[in-house]
Amino acid sequence: MASATSGFGFCLPVTYFFLILLLCVNSGGSQKKKENMLAEKVEQMMEWSSRRSVIRMNGDKFRRFVKAPPRNYSVIVMFTALQPQRQCSVCRQANEEYQVLANSWRYSSAFSNKLFFTVVDYDEGADVFQQLNMNSAPTFMHFPPKGKPKRADTFDLQRIGFASEQLAKWIADRTDVQIRVFRPPNYSGTIALALLVSLVGGLLYLRRNNLEFIYNRTGWAMAALCVVFAMTSGQMWNHIRGPPYAHKNPQNGQVSYIHGSSQAQFVAESHIILLLNAAITMGMVLLNEAATSKGDVGKRRILCLVGLGLVVFFFSFLLSIFRSKYHGYPYSFLIK
Amino acid sequence: MAEQHTVTDSKHKASSNTGGSLSGNSRPSAAGGGGGGGGLSGGLTQPAGWQSLLSFTILFLAWLAGFSSRLFAVIRFESIIHEFDPWFNYRSTHHLTTNGFYEFLNWFDERAWYPLGRIVGGTVYPGLMVTAGLIHYRPDVHLHLPADAGALEPGAGLLAACFIAIVPGYISRSVAGSFDNEGIAIFALQFTYYLWVKSVKTGSVFWTIGCCLSYFYMVSAWGGYVFIINLIPLHVFVLLLMQRYSRRVYIAYSTFYIIGLVLSMQIPFVGFQPIRTSEHMAAAGVFALLQAYAFLQYLKDRLTKQEFQTLFFLGVSMAAGVVFLTVIYLTYTGYIAPWSGRFYSLWDTGYAKIHIPIIASVSEHQPTTWVSFFFDLHILVCTFPAGLWFCIKNINDERVFVALYAISAVYFAGVMVRLMLTLTPVVCMLSAIAFSNVFQHYLGDDTKRENPPAEDSSDEDDKRNSGNLYDKAGKVRKHVSEQEKAEEGLGPNIKSIVTMLMLMLLMMFAVHCTWVTSNAYSSPSVVLASYNHDGTRNILDDFREAYYWLRQNTDEHARVMSWWDYGYQIAGMANRTTLVDNNTWNNSHIALVGKAMSSNESAAYQIMQSLDVDYVLIIFGGVIGYSGDDINKFLWMVRIAEGEHPKDIRESDYFTPQGEFRVDKAGSPTLLNCLMYKMSYYRFGEMQLDFRTPPGFDRTRNAEIGNKDIKFKHLEEAFTSEHWLVRIYKVKKLENREPLDHKPRITSLSAKQKYTSKKTAKRKRGYIKNKLVLKKGKKLNKKSV
Repeated sequence: MASATSGFGFCLPVTYFFLILLLCVNSGGSQKKKENMLAEKVEQMMEWSSRRSVIRMNGDKFRRFVKAPPRNYSVIVMFTALQPQRQCSVCRQANEEYQVLANSWRYSSAFSNKLFFTVVDYDEGADVFQQLNMNSAPTFMHFPPKGKPKRADTFDLQRIGFASEQLAKWIADRTDVQIRVFRPPNYSGTIALALLVSLVGGLLYLRRNNLEFIYNRTGWAMAALCVVFAMTSGQMWNHIRGPPYAHKNPQNGQVSYIHGSSQAQFVAESHIILLLNAAITMGMVLLNEAATSKGDVGKRRILCLVGLGLVVFFFSFLLSIFRSKYHGYPYSFLIK
Repeated sequence: MAEQHTVTDSKHKASSNTGGSLSGNSRPSAAGGGGGGGGLSGGLTQPAGWQSLLSFTILFLAWLAGFSSRLFAVIRFESIIHEFDPWFNYRSTHHLTTNGFYEFLNWFDERAWYPLGRIVGGTVYPGLMVTAGLIHYRPDVHLHLPADAGALEPGAGLLAACFIAIVPGYISRSVAGSFDNEGIAIFALQFTYYLWVKSVKTGSVFWTIGCCLSYFYMVSAWGGYVFIINLIPLHVFVLLLMQRYSRRVYIAYSTFYIIGLVLSMQIPFVGFQPIRTSEHMAAAGVFALLQAYAFLQYLKDRLTKQEFQTLFFLGVSMAAGVVFLTVIYLTYTGYIAPWSGRFYSLWDTGYAKIHIPIIASVSEHQPTTWVSFFFDLHILVCTFPAGLWFCIKNINDERVFVALYAISAVYFAGVMVRLMLTLTPVVCMLSAIAFSNVFQHYLGDDTKRENPPAEDSSDEDDKRNSGNLYDKAGKVRKHVSEQEKAEEGLGPNIKSIVTMLMLMLLMMFAVHCTWVTSNAYSSPSVVLASYNHDGTRNILDDFREAYYWLRQNTDEHARVMSWWDYGYQIAGMANRTTLVDNNTWNNSHIALVGKAMSSNESAAYQIMQSLDVDYVLIIFGGVIGYSGDDINKFLWMVRIAEGEHPKDIRESDYFTPQGEFRVDKAGSPTLLNCLMYKMSYYRFGEMQLDFRTPPGFDRTRNAEIGNKDIKFKHLEEAFTSEHWLVRIYKVKKLENREPLDHKPRITSLSAKQKYTSKKTAKRKRGYIKNKLVLKKGKKLNKKSV
């Protein structure tokens, strides 16, 4: 290959006649050379990818295997900064997803030499970043077999996120290669569950002679109330929508725990509501206890007043929070 | 219109009917009261009479309050059907009453889902239509009473009745004018639960059969019946775990399962689902388990204790294992369908978002914030855990059921706003228990039944009730003073403070309910209202204007394309054929419409041609600032279209490079040239709404539109309503021939000269045209010069 280029370079200054003659000879030869080169490249890529599903690239390799023209394969490149001193936590998450995707491709039955996954780290190929005018990491790009990458060949990370399913969809869109994402089953959940079950089982076994506590209604009632409070304070919404914990105003640094609109909430806010609901419920229970328990009257009176205070105060507090969120709500109680 | 006089007569019929169900329900609750407080009132016959009179009065007042608060929408606006879905119910009810039941079951509706059509009889829960067809009235003001609570606790039943009569969470679905499945379904749900509790309590086949019939009604009314068929087995299962098995449970569940199964399979839409889908497998599994358990119990009498214990554990775990493995095997081999997407998304909450955008796009399917819990339930949301606490503290067979119901319903309500509806009744019940517990102790013993509800209904009729209350206050004093001696009390001061504050809270609840009902849940979506500065009201009746225009001015068989939200309304009010509607059963068809809306005009024209579209209807709110219009829904159209046609539609094309969705000049060119954008803003650039804003200023999105020069090639504007809310476009027929964009190409040859063959009979040799001719040059010689 090297000889071909040098031969070509050499023949440039030669006369007209010579040029034509050489071209005729060389075009056939370069075709063959090109094919050889391509086969060589593909072979090299295949060898790398058989060793690791994601090929690490530095500047030279990148230019030679990804940018240089004779290619018949697509390359997906993740530009990232994984070194710990770069402190890019998003890069690490994105890298995990990318590995999942690359492994799914590597071990799928459809694995072929049409698509390769590579990564360029900033600390190994800073020149590539400059060359591509890239100033943020991570970025995913697709280099098609022919032509230059277009606008849609850069993955829209901001909007779609970097879940491997989304990446797979994007790749299917760009290259017609369908990858079924196969996540290695997450054993941590299963292990935790097994641990819990065995713990509970072991506890039950140890106390097999005295299983009274299972019939303890207070425990069950507490568990039920926990579920109820979690749901009524909107923890499920938090789980699905993933809101921030609280909002910090960038101008004056004030932290607001309550979201201004009735359509959304912060995590902190839902915790406050959970506590308020629990306090009101406790107040109701205390009121009842005060009336039914048999004991000192003074104590019971205090209990009763505390219960009443809990109910009334926290309910009015709850109402005032609601009012601040639901604009135009006319009623309030004790607290504005 | 037809529905106007139905409403007038509906009121009479509704009152008579609800009165009937009311007295029917009040009896068991009174009976329960008799059972619970039998020792107290057994001696005195006179108070028992008073008791039933009072409870009847209170129930009547509660019903009246519930009925009247549901009438806000009708009084403020007019008596038409307000929402989207009900129009289909109305239409099919109409079909049912005109053509009869069997005709209805076989009805093939060619007006919907053009060109596919829809087999209505087989894809609908007919309970509502049959109910409405039978009594010719709208079941919108169906006030039912939670007899469940009556069975549980005497005083709480009445309180719960009052709560449920006015609680907004339930009103949201049952206001007058919303002719929807849920209105009767929740009644059926509660009634089924009541009868189930009753049958577990008594163990009589009679009640169980009643329960099955009620279940049948529920199945025929709403897809939420799956909740029942999972909750009841769960109850039985938990009872087994708690070793509360008894003959009563066995009889009740065996009967319920068999008869309920057979009855539910009679509904054409349900068909063989109860034995073929995973949702119903829990019931079957528990049934098998119960049989095994009962058999082992039977063996118990025949064996020694030691033998029995080993056999018992072995047997139960074997049975459970076998059932579990069978279900897995059958699912794997395909005899049982796996969980359907809608139900699956309740467990795996991220599922719908990724896989079924059409489910995630519906606003009712969003998760619930605490604000909407509080908005719908107010004080009940904070007090019902207390009721749950009391229930679990004094557990018995029925209370297990209530606790399970509460926990599962609160979970589902947390996942989907819409399922708040199933939560509401149990919340009312449990809060009623909590409040009645408090009042029971703080109002003295005897008055626990009458007073709290009387106070609660005070808000609807203040004067009368204060008199009522005063009456009882006298009584209270007497009894309390009697009781003071018996047990050491907290003292009248504290008691009265507690009572007063509790009553105040309840009053706030009532006020809140009224406010919410009148402001939030009584504004119809067919008619919009806007308020001027001086408080006068403008009614924007664009929807009906447009539908009426369609009805009058278009061909009877014209096909109207619109986004699916408006499908039922077009079918119901304009009586025209629609492509997609609110029964979103065919995702690819919806995606095709979404694709047409989001592609450019010529691509859209091809789709519309292939779907035989005559008119396109869109909703545009930019003139009046209506936020629920099609441009705001547009991203969902793109997403749904992308799900089916990822090659042609790409969501990212509709965003600016910064990832924003903008309609102004900075918006993406794909958006500015797609059909929906062009139809929405056609000629809008000429319109100046306000002196302060430039022409073409969109009030909904607060932006000046980016493409003011919109021209159509294949469409023409047919109709735009008064406030531009509804715009209808006519799809032009194909012209004879598509005119070319450019001049016809003229080849230069024909212009020059005509080619004529030079072959003659003589010269048959061919010749080569433009043959190179060698010119023989002459050598320049100096000589020649």
